[in-house]
Amino acid sequence: MVLTNWLNQRFTDGEPEIEVSAGTVRQLIAELDGRFPGIGAELEGGMAVAIDGEIFPDPFLEPIRADSEVFFLPPLEGG
Amino acid sequence: MRYEAPRAIEEAVALLADAEGDAHVLAGGTDLLVLLRAGLVTPALVVDIKHIEEMCEIAQADGGFRIGAAVTGAEFGEHAELKRAWPGVVEAMELVGSTQIQGRATAGGNLCNASPAADCVPAMIAAGATCTIAGPAGRREMAVEDIATGPGETVLGKGEIVVDFLLPPRPPRSADAYLRLIPRTEMDIAVVGAGVNLTLDDDGLCKDARVALCAIAPRVLRVAEVADALIGSAIDDAALELAAAAARAACQPIDDKRGTVEYRTKIAGVLVRRAALIAKQRAGNGS
Amino acid sequence: MDIEAPSYKWVGTRPVRPDGIDKVTGRAMFGADFSLPDMLTGKILRSPHPHARLVSIDVSKAAALRGVKAVATAADIPEIPVDNAFVGDAPTNFRHWSSNVLAREKVLYDGHAVAAVAATSPAIADAALALIEVDYEVLPHVIDVKDAMRDDAPVLHDDLFTAGVEPKPDKPSNVAKRVEFTLGNTEAGFAEADVVVERAFRTKAVHQGYIEPHAVIANTAEDGQSQVWCPSQGHFMIRAACAKLLGIEISQFRVFPAEIGGGFGGKINPYLEPVALLLSRKSGRPVKMVMTRAEVFRATGPTSGAALTVKIGALKDGRIAAAEATLTFEAGAFPGSPVGAGCMTGFAPYDITNVKIVGYDVVSNRPKCCAYRAPGAPIAAYGIESVLDEIAQRLDLDPIDFRLKNAAKEGTKAAYGPQFGKIGCIETLTAAKDHPHYGAPLGPNQGRGVAAGFWFNFAGQASAAVNVNEDGTAIVTYGNPDIGGTRASMAQIAAEVLGIDYDKIRPIVADTSSIGFNDITAGSKTTFTAGLAVHEAAKDVVGQLRERAAKMWDISVDAVVWENGVARPASSNAGDFDPLALADIAAMAGKTGGPISGHASLAATGAGPTFAAHICDVEVDQDTGRITVVRYTAVQDAGRAIHPSYVEGQMQGGVVQGIGWALNEEYIYGSDGRLQNPGFLDYRIPVASDLPMIDTVIVEVPNPNHPYGVRGVGEVPIVPPMAAVTNAVASATGVRMTELPMSPPRLLAALENGS
Repeated sequence: MVLTNWLNQRFTDGEPEIEVSAGTVRQLIAELDGRFPGIGAELEGGMAVAIDGEIFPDPFLEPIRADSEVFFLPPLEGG
Repeated sequence: MRYEAPRAIEEAVALLADAEGDAHVLAGGTDLLVLLRAGLVTPALVVDIKHIEEMCEIAQADGGFRIGAAVTGAEFGEHAELKRAWPGVVEAMELVGSTQIQGRATAGGNLCNASPAADCVPAMIAAGATCTIAGPAGRREMAVEDIATGPGETVLGKGEIVVDFLLPPRPPRSADAYLRLIPRTEMDIAVVGAGVNLTLDDDGLCKDARVALCAIAPRVLRVAEVADALIGSAIDDAALELAAAAARAACQPIDDKRGTVEYRTKIAGVLVRRAALIAKQRAGNGS
Repeated sequence: MDIEAPSYKWVGTRPVRPDGIDKVTGRAMFGADFSLPDMLTGKILRSPHPHARLVSIDVSKAAALRGVKAVATAADIPEIPVDNAFVGDAPTNFRHWSSNVLAREKVLYDGHAVAAVAATSPAIADAALALIEVDYEVLPHVIDVKDAMRDDAPVLHDDLFTAGVEPKPDKPSNVAKRVEFTLGNTEAGFAEADVVVERAFRTKAVHQGYIEPHAVIANTAEDGQSQVWCPSQGHFMIRAACAKLLGIEISQFRVFPAEIGGGFGGKINPYLEPVALLLSRKSGRPVKMVMTRAEVFRATGPTSGAALTVKIGALKDGRIAAAEATLTFEAGAFPGSPVGAGCMTGFAPYDITNVKIVGYDVVSNRPKCCAYRAPGAPIAAYGIESVLDEIAQRLDLDPIDFRLKNAAKEGTKAAYGPQFGKIGCIETLTAAKDHPHYGAPLGPNQGRGVAAGFWFNFAGQASAAVNVNEDGTAIVTYGNPDIGGTRASMAQIAAEVLGIDYDKIRPIVADTSSIGFNDITAGSKTTFTAGLAVHEAAKDVVGQLRERAAKMWDISVDAVVWENGVARPASSNAGDFDPLALADIAAMAGKTGGPISGHASLAATGAGPTFAAHICDVEVDQDTGRITVVRYTAVQDAGRAIHPSYVEGQMQGGVVQGIGWALNEEYIYGSDGRLQNPGFLDYRIPVASDLPMIDTVIVEVPNPNHPYGVRGVGEVPIVPPMAAVTNAVASATGVRMTELPMSPPRLLAALENGS
């Protein structure tokens, strides 16, 4: 699990990559918020995620495998 | 708003002379209608001159041409004799607007709108054209270069209208050319424009020249110094460089969204040089 | 390409679009073409100041004018609190949009809407606007993005604290957000590099330049039910925005999609629609509003102008060792520039180990920027692809070979984080290199440039229905405005699945009350997303057709197959029956279970990213600085082109807009903070005679997440052109232009300075 830079500065003491076990994006965010209080609100507030390379602009129930790599990305918009 | 479409010049003059409040002449409408729609003018009277026959004709007279002020760009382009005698005047008029606008826009409107960037005006001035002005006191003739006095300003008094343009007879080995610079290829307003009219002698030397520039001063300028640099020369590199320098020296442009002082000044030189070469080639070909 | 193309009957063909005749004859109904009995004209009063406090707005004289039926200001719409600014997880901040639609407390740019009137004629509406008395306390303004970042800059929003920096700033500023993406260690990478090039670039704000101005009619009946007709990139979005901004329930109104005359991202957001709806609800009459072109320029669009620095280091063999970029984007009056996407896309075509990208989102006194075709990506690509060109030159490498050496492929970790799946970057670059254009000789004063581009492509929610008519024809209903020819694509997909002729299918774009929810037509997603919904709905129909055939034959549905538009027994064991065509089954629908109607609603995922490689030839007039594009070839991975003509049209359109951005388009502000060129005369989009035919090459590396392999196509073609033109100019003149647009005065000055 990899956080966008400004979040790791603020919440994880600069650590950009964190191991988390979760089955969905929702569970992942809940798990992170338990460890780093306040981060949940940031992550739910309009961020996109990439799970194993595929971008989900509006994530919630997307499944995450045990060896998945998840990136949090700024909100994205097409034209 | 009152709209009138008289059939005779005297009638148009009377309407305009008697008008109370803001009165406008409507020719092609390519400026007036835009201003109307934008709410920038609110005329009390609009006099449409397109129904006056005399103003809508091109006639060959006394070896020259008489072109009605309401003749459109498209009509200039379709007139084979005019195009042969005055290719620069025709190409200048044909640069106004787009294909659609060409069916509407008129030379008289281009002149009386008094834009410093009017395309047909430098070509007319270089051609030595005069125009007939009709007014309450009758008719008078005036050089085209004396009509506009500043942006949007002309010498025309209340009730006066430009009736036609008179292009003089053509000596042999004469030709003209007009070039303008715009960032695009059409649908634009000249950043700089240059009209050059030449007569060559039998040896190919420049016997006579008239040059005018637009968009480099508050009004279109005839620049005698540029003509002087060409007259007597073979229009070679040295003469062209002198002519370009004279053009640059004549420039009094402004900085605006369409070009800078520096850029306009440089381009005036470039266009004079290029237009002179085209005119020279045309004159040499016996056109 | 080693992918074997499956044989399709309709996918990949070029039938005439169902909306084509109406559009070329002028019959199609665009926004401004609608009218209703008793209709009022709505108009908006706009701020002449770039920055001012609204001390008071007195509308009493305007309201009292005979013929004025409604007047509205921000006081008529609910203020949306900070913690309720979003709908779902969409990035749209409705608190900001509310203040943009009608200014609240402050005006933030020349053209900002202050008040609106509805009157019985345009002249009365104009007169009413003139009677509105606004007391402005004019404030210092800031236009340029770099000036807006200075410590002493006028601050637009006193509650705006830079997000993404630690610790949180103790005072507000115009810097809304900082984002950063890092991979590896750029310092170590640059230390190893044989060549390092660093350049700073500037680009100007540019408008989407759609031909159709914004327009709307809203009508409200006595029972409070409203109807809205308007062009947009998503009538469901207009519905959501109006509901949110006006505080009314979605069931209270219905939005009908007019034909749309171009959007390019600029018709995603609400401008007139909530105002017209408000005026209609206040007056109880239909209200029509149409923007002038000046209003379109002053108050809608544009995309960001930007300042960027790019630094790239490479080894002698052409491998990129490290890359850094800092992108600073104008957001306009409210936060939300596409700087994040700019950061993520610029290096995406390449496999680079060490990358660092920083982005800043900066507000200033300009119209709120909004999406424009691959938002953010063209700006980043301009700087990055320019520097790559210079490195290739220094290393004496062919610019396409250099890019191929570093090209991203399946498994490459993208600079913004995730790993790529199946992508067509190498295939696209290779096709460009193999194109005859690339080796063609150049004339005097001519030069050739190449550039690559990347775009994510998006997916989203869609609903579709396929209704079989009793004569065997079918109606395909979906809910995305058709901007790029999607009616044709939807009909082709349905024809492919059903096995009937394209001409037997009529596609329609339904209003918000006639079909389930649909996301906007944007993000290159419609053919992919709505196409998936149509595909599923058509499959639903096929299932029903098999069931009906089974009933007609009195056999099990498992024993019926659907092939080439007919039902057949699966094998001779199932029985001996003549095939039943769709029309045969449709004729019997009433006797076999009722209407045959397929439906699908889904949230699609798996839109495949796409790449483009462009080749541009220019000729430069060395005396005047005028640039003429003399030849242009665009190569792009479409995954699978459902309708190749419309893919080519998207490619050509994107290229033309990119060329305009490169050569002459720019927002020009005076020192008074007012826009000086709000019209097509002085805002110079290219005209047809400026351009050569744009040649296109469609590469097809199918997207594994789509039944036909579709990838989005509409946005990536605008990504490479600015760099391709710039690189061509550098090749023709030896001068590398680091500021757009490369208008004649700028290029001539650069040629004379030799810089």
